[in-house]
Amino acid sequence: MKLTVDERWDLIDKIAEQVVKYGEYRYRLKDAIADITVKPLTGIPIAIAVLYGFWSFFGAFAGFFTDGFLVKLFDNHWLPWLQEVFPGKGGWLYYIFVGDPAADNCFEAFGVLTSALFVAIGVVLPAIVAFYLFLIILEDTGYLPRLAVLVDTVLHKIGLHGFAVIPMILSLGCNVPAVIATRALETGKQRFMMAVLLAIFIPCGAQLGIMFKVIPGHVGFVMLYLLAGFFVFGFILDRLLPGKSPEILLDVPPYQRPIAKNVTRKLWMRVKSFFKVAIPFVLLGVIIVNLMYLTGFLGWLANLLEPLLCGWFGVPKETVGPLVAAFLRKDLAVAQLSAIEMTMPQLVTSVVLVSLYFPCVATFAMLIREGREGGLKGVSQYLFGGLGALIAVIFLWGGLIRLIWIILGVA
Amino acid sequence: MDHPGGGMKLNKEMKFEIGRVYFAILGAVVLGIGIAEMLLGVTGRSFEWGIMEMSGEFLLWRGLILFFAGTFYLSSIQNFSDIHQLAKTVMASVMIWIIAGMKIFSMILESIPGGEEGGWFNTLEGFLASYSAPYIPSIFLLPFSLLVLYYIKLVESEEKMDGMKEESQPTGSGGDT
Repeated sequence: MKLTVDERWDLIDKIAEQVVKYGEYRYRLKDAIADITVKPLTGIPIAIAVLYGFWSFFGAFAGFFTDGFLVKLFDNHWLPWLQEVFPGKGGWLYYIFVGDPAADNCFEAFGVLTSALFVAIGVVLPAIVAFYLFLIILEDTGYLPRLAVLVDTVLHKIGLHGFAVIPMILSLGCNVPAVIATRALETGKQRFMMAVLLAIFIPCGAQLGIMFKVIPGHVGFVMLYLLAGFFVFGFILDRLLPGKSPEILLDVPPYQRPIAKNVTRKLWMRVKSFFKVAIPFVLLGVIIVNLMYLTGFLGWLANLLEPLLCGWFGVPKETVGPLVAAFLRKDLAVAQLSAIEMTMPQLVTSVVLVSLYFPCVATFAMLIREGREGGLKGVSQYLFGGLGALIAVIFLWGGLIRLIWIILGVA
Repeated sequence: MDHPGGGMKLNKEMKFEIGRVYFAILGAVVLGIGIAEMLLGVTGRSFEWGIMEMSGEFLLWRGLILFFAGTFYLSSIQNFSDIHQLAKTVMASVMIWIIAGMKIFSMILESIPGGEEGGWFNTLEGFLASYSAPYIPSIFLLPFSLLVLYYIKLVESEEKMDGMKEESQPTGSGGDT
């Protein structure tokens, strides 16, 4: 059936009569609450309270599962059982799969079936579930777009706009979907800047979970240091890179009650996709590092890089192992750091270095894929531009933290 | 106004006047506690008074949030019945609920497992001991902040009444949405 233009308009009128209610718009309490969450004077204190809630929830939820049950399960039952039944104690296969035969906890054993499994299931899974659960609730209530409006002015100083807060927050869960989320930004310059900055400066949820375990009293300092780096290097990149940073109009939806079914479905999808990416790399990471250790390559590399690691960054040469592992999984690398003997400032510096150091291989692959949108030029921009930024950051920002320790008299 | 039951029924203005005085007092208390927690957080000290304590992780942040909550309460008392002002009272209460709620949530989670050397689950004594005093100030402020729910209900019922009045009036199509 084909309708004329007039008939179509008549049909539209009829449908509108049935479904549209006409009346006077009334400003309600819900609207007033929505307004004060986007005004800086009232919105920033509310954002601080929300972030406090976020951290408290993250710590309590992840701590309940990890410290309450999973540490016990892995250290008191799984590790002793494996050490007893796995054949060929002392052999290279034993070393790769079970790790150090004298280890009394899964963090320090460093085998595929001990440390890798413990990191992936015992530490990362609760942290990721806690992170995504809170994030989805913020998303579904309509608070996230308001946060975007709040930080718009600040992010404009580095050539981004408020919507960049979405990949930033997503990145705290996993850098891979966050790099994809940079597509929502307007220009190539903004997309490249955001992808590089988040790959370097924002630790993922898995890494955060391990950081809370390894340096519980210093996570706030590390986060502030990385955030400061994000803005300093964002400002520099904005000045150096050609391209535009246009204004945008952001649609802010009304506040609404999250629907439990939607929350669980989204949570399941995100945790599932995270684990598809994470688990193979954690297992592979432990195998590669153990093989490098067994063949003596790691020792050779540590000696080669000793002047740089000890001289410039002030950390022991043994950190080369975690730095290699960091290319595969950063959470794994932080877990490895805890087994190396060093002072607290050295440990904090090493954690910062692992965060700043090369993005994990999954993020790196995603960065290259994003660059492919711009053809060969795009790939080389993401590859060489990203690498250039990374080298500058690791030397300057990584070296600066040592200077801070020297000034404070603790290095 | 005399109530048929013999008691006094408060009119809307009176209810908001009571709310104004109540939240002014609560605001001053919340602000004071917020400042105290911030000072303790900055100096790295702790304070215990009876069953209340100001110490622990994130003390400075908790103080900062209570400071803002107190400021919100106090800034909302002028023209309290206006919904813009009431929105500030609501958000101040929400800020207290976040701190107290998260503390209660972590207390519940900490009470369940058996501890490092214990079994999988806590003993009954250990479970009950997890809920013993001292508590952070926000836990004490929580019940006092709940009064805001009454004012939300009051405003919402008024909004509902207005909506019903509007619907009963005949309106033609083609007007502004």
